[in-house]
Amino acid sequence: MARIGVFICHCGENISATVDVKQVAAAAARIPGVAHSVEYKYMCSDPGQQLVKDAIREKGLTGVVVAACSPRMHEPTFRRACAETGLNPFLCEMANIREHCSWVHEKGDATTEKAIDIVRTLVAKVKKNKALQPIQVPVTKVALVIGGGIAGIQASLDIANAGHRVILVEREPSIGGHMSQLSETFPTLDCSQCILTPRMVEVAQHPNITLYSYAELESLDGFIGNFKARIRRKARSLDETLCTGCGLCTQKCPTRKIPGEFDAGLGLRPAIYVPFPQAVPNKPVIDREHCTYYRTGKCRLCEKICPTQAIRFDQLDEIVEVEVGAVVVATGFDIKHGDFFPEYGYGKYPDVIDGLQFERLASASGPTLGEIRRPSDGKVPETVVFVACAGSRDPAKGIEYCSKICCMYTAKHAMLYRHKVHGGKPYVFYMDIRAGGKMYEEFVRRAMEEDGVQYVRGRISRVFERDGKLVVKGADTLLGARPMEIEADLVVLATAAVAQPGAEELAQKLHVSYDAHRFFSEAHPKLRPVETNTAGIFLAGACQAPKDIPESVAQASGAAAKVAALFSRSELVREPLIAVVDRQPPPVYSSCVGCFLCQSACPYQAIEKEEIRGRDGQLIKTVARVNPGLCQGCGTCVAFCRTKSIDIQGFSHEQVHAEVLALLNRGERDA
Amino acid sequence: MNALREKARELLATKTVQVVIGYAPGSGGAARALFVREAAQAGELVFDETCLQNLAAYLMKPEVRRLGRAALVARPATLRTILQLAAENQLAESSLLALVPGADGVLSLSTFSAIEAHVAAQDNDLSAAEKSELEKFAAMGLDERREFWQEQFSRCLKCYACRAACPLCYCTRCTVECNQPQWIPVPAHDLGNLEWNVMRAMHLAGRCTNCGDCSRACPVGIPLYLLNQKLCSDVLSSFNQRSGMAARADHSLSTFKPDDPEDFIR
Ligand SMILES: Cc1cc2nc3c(=O)[nH]c(=O)nc-3n(C[C@H](O)[C@H](O)[C@H](O)COP(=O)(O)OP(=O)(O)OC[C@H]3O[C@@H](n4cnc5c(N)ncnc54)[C@H](O)[C@@H]3O)c2cc1C
Ligand code: SF4
Ligand code: SF4
Ligand code: SF4
Repeated sequence: MARIGVFICHCGENISATVDVKQVAAAAARIPGVAHSVEYKYMCSDPGQQLVKDAIREKGLTGVVVAACSPRMHEPTFRRACAETGLNPFLCEMANIREHCSWVHEKGDATTEKAIDIVRTLVAKVKKNKALQPIQVPVTKVALVIGGGIAGIQASLDIANAGHRVILVEREPSIGGHMSQLSETFPTLDCSQCILTPRMVEVAQHPNITLYSYAELESLDGFIGNFKARIRRKARSLDETLCTGCGLCTQKCPTRKIPGEFDAGLGLRPAIYVPFPQAVPNKPVIDREHCTYYRTGKCRLCEKICPTQAIRFDQLDEIVEVEVGAVVVATGFDIKHGDFFPEYGYGKYPDVIDGLQFERLASASGPTLGEIRRPSDGKVPETVVFVACAGSRDPAKGIEYCSKICCMYTAKHAMLYRHKVHGGKPYVFYMDIRAGGKMYEEFVRRAMEEDGVQYVRGRISRVFERDGKLVVKGADTLLGARPMEIEADLVVLATAAVAQPGAEELAQKLHVSYDAHRFFSEAHPKLRPVETNTAGIFLAGACQAPKDIPESVAQASGAAAKVAALFSRSELVREPLIAVVDRQPPPVYSSCVGCFLCQSACPYQAIEKEEIRGRDGQLIKTVARVNPGLCQGCGTCVAFCRTKSIDIQGFSHEQVHAEVLALLNRGERDA
Repeated sequence: MNALREKARELLATKTVQVVIGYAPGSGGAARALFVREAAQAGELVFDETCLQNLAAYLMKPEVRRLGRAALVARPATLRTILQLAAENQLAESSLLALVPGADGVLSLSTFSAIEAHVAAQDNDLSAAEKSELEKFAAMGLDERREFWQEQFSRCLKCYACRAACPLCYCTRCTVECNQPQWIPVPAHDLGNLEWNVMRAMHLAGRCTNCGDCSRACPVGIPLYLLNQKLCSDVLSSFNQRSGMAARADHSLSTFKPDDPEDFIR
């Protein structure tokens, strides 16, 4: 016979202000099977938990219902309390009379009635609860980090320094990401390469880090602690073990007029190239699309020149399979390019450029060796207009959000321009200045006050060419929307920061969710900012939302800490709230008919085929089986199974049915 | 007809199959199923417009399976059913052979790919009469539809003849037989009848191959095919998938494809 204890919490006044808790306790006491029913001000407090524990011991309770807040809040608290008395924790249920009742209704009889109904439902459920044992899964203590920008680099180093192996996968020939392209960095104006390169080298030399550059994730299967990743190492056309990085091939390659990605299209590179001198690894790749040999069948000059005979024209992509326990996604961001801004002449006039291109102009290693010269004729611009919020915060362009980094780097750009071109006239068109951050506001002030950058509040409407000048038309909204026209030599657009082009595809491979702008979604916007909704997969850097370097690094270290915590034990304990497929004694074995509709329905690939064989090895039938490590207990398969052969432990058909009946039959029962 | 009998005789004599499942004249002008296990008995087989039953239903019965490899006289819908059953992992390719009687003899299809090719070439659309019935039904307003079905279902006896006739109702334990808990009530009252019939229709969504046997089996004449066909046409328009076209196919309702339009979710 069931002996259920019901514990009703006032939650201070959160519940008791609208629900008559005394009445709920009295009603609960009348439900058949309830052996104990009390109310208390704070059930989650120590004395509150003690009430539960004492009652379990004294009244020999077989199940507990705590009528209080959401199970997401305190279910673990009360289950732990039950476990301390020896009662199986899964015999304890929460009846949510706060979020589902007191918070959303006015004070009154109906509200109290509803609270009683909720309690009644959970009492009916808990009577059918079964004792469950947690699931233990082994953990492979190797982390996969996808993306080798500053975020991926930081996460890799932190995890590696915690003593765990890391596999870092970078799509491009070198790690470094956007930070390697930057000239100097706000708010301190230290040289980006100078602070980044040592970290890149550390990655290359760290005994715990395996770097796969020029590689991409092909697929990821498995689950927390036990992922299987397939990595495609794209053919570099080079034997990396032989190449010494001497660079002779890149100097001799006759195909040299290819706009370089690293210089944001402003500089040229050969067909066999290292993206930048400090690249890690410092080994070239052949760009097969442009290489003369791949295009015409003739050349192979690099092969002749290479002192170690490292060139491999017939190299194929290679697939590497690795087992990892956790994944950190750090694939970064991109900025808007192309014909997104026809009104600004971006893509049409060579002297309308984006922020990354300006970084390359200002960089000592860039195509102009750090002199600000405009792309069209190499002239030093006398007037430069910087446009903040180019595309950002513009619902009409489909980007409602603030790109967050542009205000700051625009101030930086204007400053760098003034430092390099003393008589130059910089204008910044802005909507608002967002300089929230340590030393950020001071930095912008410095641009305005010390470096004489002219800030104009207003949007520009159009950029067009007139007599060799770029005419920028706008309005100064602080001066009563007075129309303005500036004749500029160079226009720099702080184009919106957007998700990586391959972000959606990658998210689908990883089974992580993403927002409407294809940035990856964190599990909770405040409390779980580095986790994804898929256990064991974490986020770092600008792949989650536009971020600057300090934030990217902080999040990367946060993700690394989560991975280290996960790897601190060799086994992982999981709640057993997972699906199981019916098994019975012969001759039935299972009510499953092996249609496997559940298999395609399962979003976590948790359903496998199991062959049931007789003693003689003869196949009796093929039925479904749920892999307890993979199943997330979502219940999708349950809804699909026509033979009702699948149950979620803790949410079985019997339990849910009992809850429904408790609601439907409430009149009869109480009468 | 003679060609069919000849073929059956040959298949049994050469032991290519152990049983030929076909039609013989039944009572009241209808045809019934005939299980021919001896070559000598093949002369009893008939094939004409009265032969409507979808014989694929027998392929799922354990007692029929035990007979050995079967040759099945197949109508267009029978072929679709075979493919659908294969897609649901219920049929082994080696366990059967489909006999399709035509104007110039009998076609014998022994592989799923041969059946697929034949199905792809045949007309799988609804007949003109069926289409106009469906349009009439689809034109009804929601309230009118509910009333229509409530009236129809009120006559249901819960005899489960529709289920027994349906080749895709092969579950060894049907939802209505699950009694712990009893989701679908047993008595033939209004609520129970509604739940049973809605459940039956939903379980066939994206699976039904439109043979029409459920409606023919129903002793009180409930037009069950209307529900199935409506669901089939909805699945076709939402997921661009027709059941029974391929022996390896993902179930349209349980499969997520990255290129699904998903317009109803986004
Ligand atoms: C013009 C400009 C100026 C800036 N100036 C400053 C500044 O002064 N100070 C500051 O703090 N911040 C600045 N930022 C911001 C800074 O660039 C970012 O904060 C930083 O780069 C984010 O690092 P990340 O590692 O998250 O992303 P990224 O730098 O974008 O790196 C992502 C890496 O992942 C790789 N990758 C992408 N997809 C895949 C895939 N599918 N598989 C494998 N690898 C993949 C990429 O190749 C790249 O190497 C500036 C940004 C811009 C655009
Ligand atoms: S849906 Fe049900 S009957 Fe079909 S394979 Fe899965 S568990 Fe078995
Ligand atoms: S409960 Fe969800 S995750 Fe688990 S097997 Fe079923 S569909 Fe897959
Ligand atoms: S055959 Fe007709 S009466 Fe019998 S259960 Fe089916 S719908 Fe009801």
